[in-house]
Amino acid sequence: MAEDGRNAAEQRASDPNPCPICLAPVCEESYLDQCFHKFCYSCILRWIKVVTSKHSSAPASVKCPLCKTENFSIIRSYSGGFFQQHHDNENLDNSAFFTKSHKYRLQCYYTDEGGLLNKFNVPRYWKLHKYVQSNPRLISWVRREIQALTQEEDVDIIVHHILGVIESFRRNEQKQIKVTPQAKQEEFKIIVSEAARPFLTGRTDRFVNELELFLVSSLTIDAFDRVYIQHLGWKMPELVGEVGEPVEHAPLVPHLYFFDEDCDGNE
Amino acid sequence: MQASRARLFKEYKEVQREKTADPDIQLVCDDSNIFKWTALIKGPSETPYDGGVFQLAFSVPEQYPLQPPQVRFLTKIFHPNVHFKTGEICLDILKNAWSPAWTLQSVCRAIIALMAHPEPDSPLNCDSGNLLRSGDIRGFQSMARMYTRLAAMPKKG
Repeated sequence: MAEDGRNAAEQRASDPNPCPICLAPVCEESYLDQCFHKFCYSCILRWIKVVTSKHSSAPASVKCPLCKTENFSIIRSYSGGFFQQHHDNENLDNSAFFTKSHKYRLQCYYTDEGGLLNKFNVPRYWKLHKYVQSNPRLISWVRREIQALTQEEDVDIIVHHILGVIESFRRNEQKQIKVTPQAKQEEFKIIVSEAARPFLTGRTDRFVNELELFLVSSLTIDAFDRVYIQHLGWKMPELVGEVGEPVEHAPLVPHLYFFDEDCDGNE
Repeated sequence: MQASRARLFKEYKEVQREKTADPDIQLVCDDSNIFKWTALIKGPSETPYDGGVFQLAFSVPEQYPLQPPQVRFLTKIFHPNVHFKTGEICLDILKNAWSPAWTLQSVCRAIIALMAHPEPDSPLNCDSGNLLRSGDIRGFQSMARMYTRLAAMPKKG
C-alpha cells in the first residue's frame, strides 16, 4: 500500500502539469493570451476549431477550457523573453482595423531584436542631428505600432502623447546643441519610454528601439516593412508583394494564432 | 479516434491510481470497449437520495474530449433534471458548456452536485419540477425518497 502511494507520487512528479485536453505531457507549449493557461498547440487548436465551427461567423474570442476567460489568440514559440498582459477587455469582434500588417508588427516583438541595426547607421543619425527634421510618416507608423501592441483601435491619445513628447524634444534641441550625440540618443529614448510605458508596459523598451530604427531608416512604412521582413526571412507574400526573394532557410515565424482568421493552422 | 483512446486510457490509469480518492464515485470501464463506462455514485447526504447508489452509463464519442460524453442514469431517479423513463440528464456541461478539461470523474462530481441542487426551471421531469416550483418541498422529497428506496437501495431481507 505504501509502495503504491510512492509510485503514484513519483508518476505525478514526472508529469506535474499535463495538457488539460489530452492529459499527456504538453507538446509544443502554447498559451492563451489572457489567462496564460498552457496547452499542447495541436490540442488547443483542435478545440478552438470545434468552438468556431459552432458559430456561423468566427468568434473573435474563445473561452479558456480551464477558467473560461475570454482569450483572443494563442501564443506559441514563446522563447523566454516576457509576457505582456493586455489590459483591454475590448472585443476584437468589431475590429477590421487589426490587419495583417498589424499582426506582422506584433509578431516582430516576439523575435530577437538588434539584427537590423547593421542595416542602418544609427550613430550617424544622431551625429548629424537628423532627428531635428520631422518625419511626416511617423504618425501613421506609431499608430499602427500602438494598435498592434495594444490590440485597441482607438489609440489616438497615446499616439498624440508620444508624438508630442518627440516634438518637444525636437524643439528643445534647437536651443542647446552642445550635448554629445550619445547623450542626445539616450535622452530621446528615456523621454519616449516614459511617455509610452504606461500603455505598453513590458514592451516599451522594444517599442522605443523599433521607433528609433524606423526614424533612422528614413524609409516609408512600406519600404521599412519590406526591409524588415526580408531581414527576418519570413514568407509573407501578402505583405511584401513580389519583392521578397525566395528564402533558402526557413526561419521560425513566431506564431500568433488569431481565432477570427480563416487559417487551417496545419503548417 | 486515436486521441480519444489515448486520453481515455490516461483517465483509466488515473481512476485505477486514485480509487480511494473519492469514495462517492466508482468508475468502471467496460472490459472490451474503452468507449463504454459505467459509474456508481452515492446519493449526496442531506438529500432524498442519501443512502442510494445510482448507476450511470457513459457512452464516449470518438471526438472525445472535444465532444462531451453521453451520460444517463440507469437507476431510476425522481429528479427535475433527469428524464424519468430514459434517464437522460439535463446538465449544461454535458451540452453547450462542455469543456475538454472535464473528465469522466469530474462529470460524475457535477452530476452529484446536480442531485443536491436541482434546477426546476429546466425540467426533464415535469412532475418533479412542478412540485419544486410550486414550493411543495415535502411532496418532492417524499417522492424522491420513495424512488431512491425502490430503485437505488439494496432490497432488505
